Amino acid sequence: MITVWHYLAVAAALFGLGLVGFLTRRNFITMFLCAEMMLQGVVLNLLAFGKMHGDLGGQVFGLFVVTVAACEAGLALALFLTLYRRGKTLDSGAWQSIREAKVPASVDTDPLRVVREVPDPMLTPAGRRPARTEDEVRV
Amino acid sequence: MTAPFALAPVAPLAAAQLLGAVILGTLGLSLLLPRPRGRSVALGVFLTLAAGVVTVGFIATTFGGKLATDDLPALVEQGLFWLFSVTALVFAVVLVVQSNPARGAIAFAFVVLSTCGLFLLLAAPFLMAATVIIYAGAVIVTFLFVLMLSHSKGPSDENDRSREPLLGSLAGLAFAGLVLLTLHLSAGRAVDVSEKLLPAAAIRAEDKAELLLAAAELKEAADPATELYRVGGLGHAANARLTAVVGAAAGEGSHLDHRRTMQDRLRYAETDARTADVIRQADELKRLKKAAGDALENALLEPSPDVPALRAKLTELREKTLLLVGRGELPARNVSAVGHALYSEYLIAVELAGTLLLVATIGAVAIAGRKGVSA
Repeated sequence: MITVWHYLAVAAALFGLGLVGFLTRRNFITMFLCAEMMLQGVVLNLLAFGKMHGDLGGQVFGLFVVTVAACEAGLALALFLTLYRRGKTLDSGAWQSIREAKVPASVDTDPLRVVREVPDPMLTPAGRRPARTEDEVRV
Repeated sequence: MTAPFALAPVAPLAAAQLLGAVILGTLGLSLLLPRPRGRSVALGVFLTLAAGVVTVGFIATTFGGKLATDDLPALVEQGLFWLFSVTALVFAVVLVVQSNPARGAIAFAFVVLSTCGLFLLLAAPFLMAATVIIYAGAVIVTFLFVLMLSHSKGPSDENDRSREPLLGSLAGLAFAGLVLLTLHLSAGRAVDVSEKLLPAAAIRAEDKAELLLAAAELKEAADPATELYRVGGLGHAANARLTAVVGAAAGEGSHLDHRRTMQDRLRYAETDARTADVIRQADELKRLKKAAGDALENALLEPSPDVPALRAKLTELREKTLLLVGRGELPARNVSAVGHALYSEYLIAVELAGTLLLVATIGAVAIAGRKGVSA
């Protein structure tokens, strides 16, 4: 028997995982997706309670949450675009100059792994250049 | 009756499961999260899977996970629930730990599809379809942004570094663990309440009098000649008693009862087919209410009331009534019922949401449309 508690538990786990992603990841786009995932968990809660009470209020509230999520998405992507224009990066760590006072700056100590670029394979030039010049070929 | 917010004691097994899941999940996620040094995918996947198994064990032991092998619809529901939940959580982990944001967007699409399956199980087909459509657009826009803005080859600061992997995972998972612990405490209490309100052994004299009153009220609500029928709904005493017996109110009907307002009457008077349909629905509701009243009365007149059978009967009647007013298990009339609720009861909220969308659009244009501010 699947009860309302099962849905609440899944929603809590989804919310917690989204919170982990939002706290730890540094790419704006990934952080945004994690926030959307937290909202999915919230909507799951609302629908579970709505079904428990046999009431449509949960579904209506869920629709409003989706609306607010759409607004949030538009504003967030506009902000990312502005930040990218200024900083040429999607790294949220690049904006720690606006952090709270008295909070020490976080410094990346470990160097990034260096990946050597392997050039695309190319055919070796073969054959001989024709003896005649291009002018002679052209009629 | 006990204090309304008394919590059940914590079971040691549940506490141990939760603690183990949080610790395993924190270690696993912090190993999986992208960083230049010390990332171990194999060990991280193993620990995260172990945490997932322990969490599923917690949910099954605390909230009930016995497979209903004798009841096929319940078995299918259980199978679908576990399928969708596990898929959603697995892809959620992939989204969190994936260093490539484009692959993260694909994982997010799978999370949304799985939660939409859960929405369908929760009798919300309209919200399911709306979410699929809206988030399909969102994922495509995300792809666009990834293609447009991240053109770095090889490792980069934003994708291959994490902010405090261990502490961040601990914060998020400890939060989820505490919520699950609260659910565990409340679930124990909720079971107690319904048992206490209607003791299985014997019904006291005053309980019986009240239930008989509720039955009378239910019957009255089914009779077109009475005031109660005109008002609609079942009446408070009947609903309170039914809530105690069944666990939720019977067909309260109120704002979905199409006979209620003058506008509705005018609207439904437009076409004969609709009028006939509404009359048929009203008759069916009336019949169900009368059946509920009869069932209550008959069961109470017996020397020793069979409470589980009574509860099952009333639950069945409740499901039928809910289905009839568009709130039931099946998607029957869900869209029209949601639309009716949106444009009658929640009209101001709808207007506000529209205004919010407009303001957000203007704001997005104002923020992103600025030219020549590159530092």
